[in-house]
Amino acid sequence: MLAQQARGFSFDFSVVTNNLDLYWAGVRLTLFIAVTSFVLATLLGVVIALMRLSRNRLVGAVAAAYINLFRAIPLLVFILFVYYGVRIAFGLTFFTALRAGIFAFTVQYSAWLGEIFRAGIQAVPGGQREAALSVGMGRARTFFTIVMPQAVRISIPPTGNMLIGMVKDSSLVYILGVNELLRTTNLLANRTFRYFETYLATVGIYLVLTTAIYYLVKYLERRFAISDVLSQATRRYSPFARNRYQRLRTLQEAVGGGSSIAP
Amino acid sequence: MAVEAERGMTDMGSRHEPSTSGAGVVEAVRLRSIQKYFGSNHVLQGVGLCVRRGEHVVVFGPSGSGKSTLLRTINLLEEPQSGSVVVEGREYGPGVPGEPKQRRGDRRELRKQVGMVFQQFNLFPHLSVLDNVTIALRRVKGMKRGEAELRAARQLDRVGLLSKIGSYPAMLSGGQQQRVAIARSLVMDPKVMLFDEPTSALDPELVGEVLAVMRSLAETGMTMVVVTHEMGFGREIGDQNVFMDAGVIVEQGGREIYTDCREERTRSFIRAVL
Ligand SMILES: Nc1ncnc2c1ncn2[C@@H]1O[C@H](COP(=O)(O)OP(=O)(O)OP(=O)(O)O)[C@@H](O)[C@H]1O
Ligand SMILES: [Mg+2]
Repeated sequence: MLAQQARGFSFDFSVVTNNLDLYWAGVRLTLFIAVTSFVLATLLGVVIALMRLSRNRLVGAVAAAYINLFRAIPLLVFILFVYYGVRIAFGLTFFTALRAGIFAFTVQYSAWLGEIFRAGIQAVPGGQREAALSVGMGRARTFFTIVMPQAVRISIPPTGNMLIGMVKDSSLVYILGVNELLRTTNLLANRTFRYFETYLATVGIYLVLTTAIYYLVKYLERRFAISDVLSQATRRYSPFARNRYQRLRTLQEAVGGGSSIAP
Repeated sequence: MAVEAERGMTDMGSRHEPSTSGAGVVEAVRLRSIQKYFGSNHVLQGVGLCVRRGEHVVVFGPSGSGKSTLLRTINLLEEPQSGSVVVEGREYGPGVPGEPKQRRGDRRELRKQVGMVFQQFNLFPHLSVLDNVTIALRRVKGMKRGEAELRAARQLDRVGLLSKIGSYPAMLSGGQQQRVAIARSLVMDPKVMLFDEPTSALDPELVGEVLAVMRSLAETGMTMVVVTHEMGFGREIGDQNVFMDAGVIVEQGGREIYTDCREERTRSFIRAVL
């Protein structure tokens, strides 16, 4: 307090509390941009990953080129290029500022996610495929029931990091005049000259958003982790596990004491 | 000199191969003139093999001689460049050159009749022990969940792992994992079981439990083809013993092969490992 008075300056956070509705609208748009782009990028990323792993050389090369190209361009440059370059050159009225931003995010993030998913699929040992084929599963069934679930688990942590990056990167479209969280803050600050308070609130909001995602990802990782349903620890928690526990016990009782070829 | 000897053996192998006509009743598997290359590496050089129903074939030989490739050809996990695989009278694979093309079976039909146990177990780590054994019943045979689980549990009981049905592979010892893998194959009611060095990845104290399960399986009359370095075990169950080297079957015979073989290469290999 003393230091502030010495400068003839004091913090006043009423500029934040009086404009919570503005902040809220900014957060909503930020989340809309991030989630929409991320969902689209994930879908496209799966396609890119599958193309990359295709047995067809040409398809694989196209996917590789796509990945290398879009990972090489700075995101901000790409956003500006889409909005001011492509939109105007080709008269694409579809590209409003918001849509141009989402388009740019989707394209770039799909390249990164495609690489993550490719690595996830390739990290599943070849013996898994062979074991599935050897019990008579077809190629598609093998992929969807054996390879993909394992690839998903491997991909969860890096994908979570990408989502956190997406939330932060969504602020870049402020440059196109999209009223997401950053531009909202920027306008409010310019109007009130309360730069420190308004930006501090925004820093806090980004922190809360990314931390929430971090815990969501942790939760998903745990959710996908394996656990013994017949052990005490898991049985206590979910009704699902209790249910399954009962079914396995019943099964054991139904079968128990049959013929054994074990030692 | 060595190359010539190999050629000679290959030719002999195919001459000794019984003709297809009249085959059937007692024959579970027949490999006919299998040629397999990995790039320029000629891994199987015209291999022929006949496995009768209920017979236990043991395949042995030095590392890199093509034992795994031979075994994996039987269920077409490796597709040979030429030759055919006959299982229960039905022909699969690209065929023997010079023969008229006949209708060939679908690879998946073949695999439903042939069980395979791998050196590295290859259990599905995201599925419980029970689901590892039921998944093919449900997804390949289209069986209802209740029935599939009952069958799987019975099979797991036979390998002594009924108490582990709720566990996941990572929670089991290597020996237990391999027994689950055996149950996973057996539950499909295969006509033939293939084993590719099933105990090589196990700690010595766990080898016994897996061999015991295989021994009892052999006693039930299951047709088996076993690639193994466990010569003692091979000697015990092998009705037909096959020595491979450098992509050819050098010698095959009954139990006498271990004490009284014809080929010098077989003799020196057996001497080295026994
Ligand atoms: N997928 C593959 N690609 C290329 N070469 C291969 C492949 N699999 C096997 N080979 C080669 O084929 C030859 C035979 O291999 P194979 O695995 O059948 O031998 P093996 O008798 O089973 O040996 P081991 O006792 O070491 O298991 C070796 O020279 C090996 O390098
Ligand atoms: Mg091998």
